[in-house]
Amino acid sequence: MQKIAVVGSPNVGKSVIFNNLTGTYATVSNYPGTTVEVSRGKSKIGNKEFEIIDTPGIYSFLPLSEEERVTRRILMQENPCLILHVVDAKNLERMLSLTLQLLEASLPVILILNIIDEARALGMKIDTARLEKELNIPVVATVSITGEGMDILRGRIEEHVKRFC
Amino acid sequence: MLKDSAKHFCRSISYDDPLEVCISKIQGLLLSDYRMSKRALALLLLQEDKEIVDTVRDKEGERFDKIMGIVQETKTHYLRPLTYIISLRRQKEASRIAKLTVGFPGQQKLSIKEKLSKILMDPIIGGPILLAILYYGLYKFVGNFGAGVLVDFLEDKVFIARLNPLVTSLINKAIPYKLLQDLLVGEYGIITLGVRYAFAIILPIVTTFFFAFAIVEDTGYLPRLAMLVDQLFKKIGLSGRAVIPLVLGFGCDTMATMVTRTLPTKRERIIATLLLALAIPCSAQMGVILGLLSDNGIGLGVWLGVIIAVFILVGLLASKIMPGELPSFYMEIPPLRIPQVSNVVRKTASRLSWYFKEVFPLFIFASVIIWIGQITGVFSLVVKILQYPIRWIGLPDKAAVAFLFGFFRRDYGAAGLYDLKKAGLLSGNQLVVACITLTLFLPCIAQLLMNIKERGLRLGIAMSLFILFFSFTVGYSVNLVLTLFNIRL
Repeated sequence: MQKIAVVGSPNVGKSVIFNNLTGTYATVSNYPGTTVEVSRGKSKIGNKEFEIIDTPGIYSFLPLSEEERVTRRILMQENPCLILHVVDAKNLERMLSLTLQLLEASLPVILILNIIDEARALGMKIDTARLEKELNIPVVATVSITGEGMDILRGRIEEHVKRFC
Repeated sequence: MLKDSAKHFCRSISYDDPLEVCISKIQGLLLSDYRMSKRALALLLLQEDKEIVDTVRDKEGERFDKIMGIVQETKTHYLRPLTYIISLRRQKEASRIAKLTVGFPGQQKLSIKEKLSKILMDPIIGGPILLAILYYGLYKFVGNFGAGVLVDFLEDKVFIARLNPLVTSLINKAIPYKLLQDLLVGEYGIITLGVRYAFAIILPIVTTFFFAFAIVEDTGYLPRLAMLVDQLFKKIGLSGRAVIPLVLGFGCDTMATMVTRTLPTKRERIIATLLLALAIPCSAQMGVILGLLSDNGIGLGVWLGVIIAVFILVGLLASKIMPGELPSFYMEIPPLRIPQVSNVVRKTASRLSWYFKEVFPLFIFASVIIWIGQITGVFSLVVKILQYPIRWIGLPDKAAVAFLFGFFRRDYGAAGLYDLKKAGLLSGNQLVVACITLTLFLPCIAQLLMNIKERGLRLGIAMSLFILFFSFTVGYSVNLVLTLFNIRL
């Protein structure tokens, strides 16, 4: 079964997006040889089933903590065919650095601007079309807790997996 | 799958020339399959990521040494760590993209919080604010209230007036041996001295200090302070991060020495430990010294000036002598906020219990040592020896006792001087010289033990010898200068 990994820094709503994609069934287990917990679940996208992995939070591709090391190992060794990089839209500028690192590693990424409602409330306007062009990857704005944007996200994932997975 | 998508997803940033040359050299030497771009791999190797280095060692065989040779060579092109150079470049690219895609319609106004945040980090306005925080938080609250009002109450009203006589008479009845009585309830006994110190002096001081510190911490001021002093601290081989243990040192140096654990490099830990032992007076000591010099404004100024000069000078020297990379430092600046009562209380309580667990045994241990020193006569011998350097810096012989006590508790040494001053045995000059020497003089025994625990026996002892020699040299020099220029303070 092909895999899709959800990555991003802590507290950006990775798990809510993970739950949204997988529904109710998820297994939580320690990553082999570590005390770090990783949740895995299944999701049907298009007519294919995928394993979704909710990875521990990372700030950079250069790991400092065991959690970060586990996440990088998942990305390098489990060969996911898609990476959903979740960021807090408010802090896009700071979090883009990780997107750039994932792209530098030639990993297939969709960028998710989560918590977009709070960014809007601050008066931020994010030009997602321009961002897609600059990064050359799909960009989706969501509010994971209300479900806003999740349909669009599923659509973009489906497009992606049809072409690359 | 990767081959297929790689074209679509590879979007690389260009780094500056020497780095790019090295990246492509390394890429050329990576022949195995790693499931990620060779470029990213080369960058991680340049940043000496341990896991990646190990993987490449396994997979590339004899090419590995060549690769690491390139990494070492690349490092020589840059003054700062490559990690820093690379993340800075990436962040620049991220900012460029953000500027193109993120807009704030209408005039983007800085909120009050952001303005305040800027002011706090401003080198010109931030300085006085720091002084104000130190004055009210440290001097007024911890110094006057904690070390003054609370200590007076607990020490005089509770321990000396009630508890000590009660316990002493109980023990004296229960144990008929004079030697053991001395150990437990003698002048320097475990209960009369060790426990009293811990509960009547240290407890109120560190409680008020931890409380003030938790409030400051909860507002988000500390990272800003770290940014404010970072440039200055770089010169003395530290980074802004060291501000936290050093500020804590004004509360209690022993605890602050423990907190140097949070510093990232061994070199920084050593420099910070040395500066704490030498030039940062703890709140207990500072309280008494401020009291001693309070009627002598110029003397207080001289004391402050000399201590600051020593702090900077020793920091500069230590960072020159000790080899090591420049400390690199970046810190996430959290938003400012109003401190939450529950947070402050919880932090104060958990630090207090942690502190007591670590420090209380040391006080008991100190009591035992004094007891041994007294019965073996080592004490009076040390006082005799100390009299020589004491005369050397122009002080009366009697000050030797104050200095020896200063080793057991810094403020006790200062309090000994207080008695001498009251008895009219010290001139203005002598008082200032004595205060300077005593501030720099050996850390108290608890701190010394902590130094040894944290930095190892060899370094702990070496530091103490240096401080012993250095403090008297400074005292001597100040005395000399004052005498030569015929200055009377």
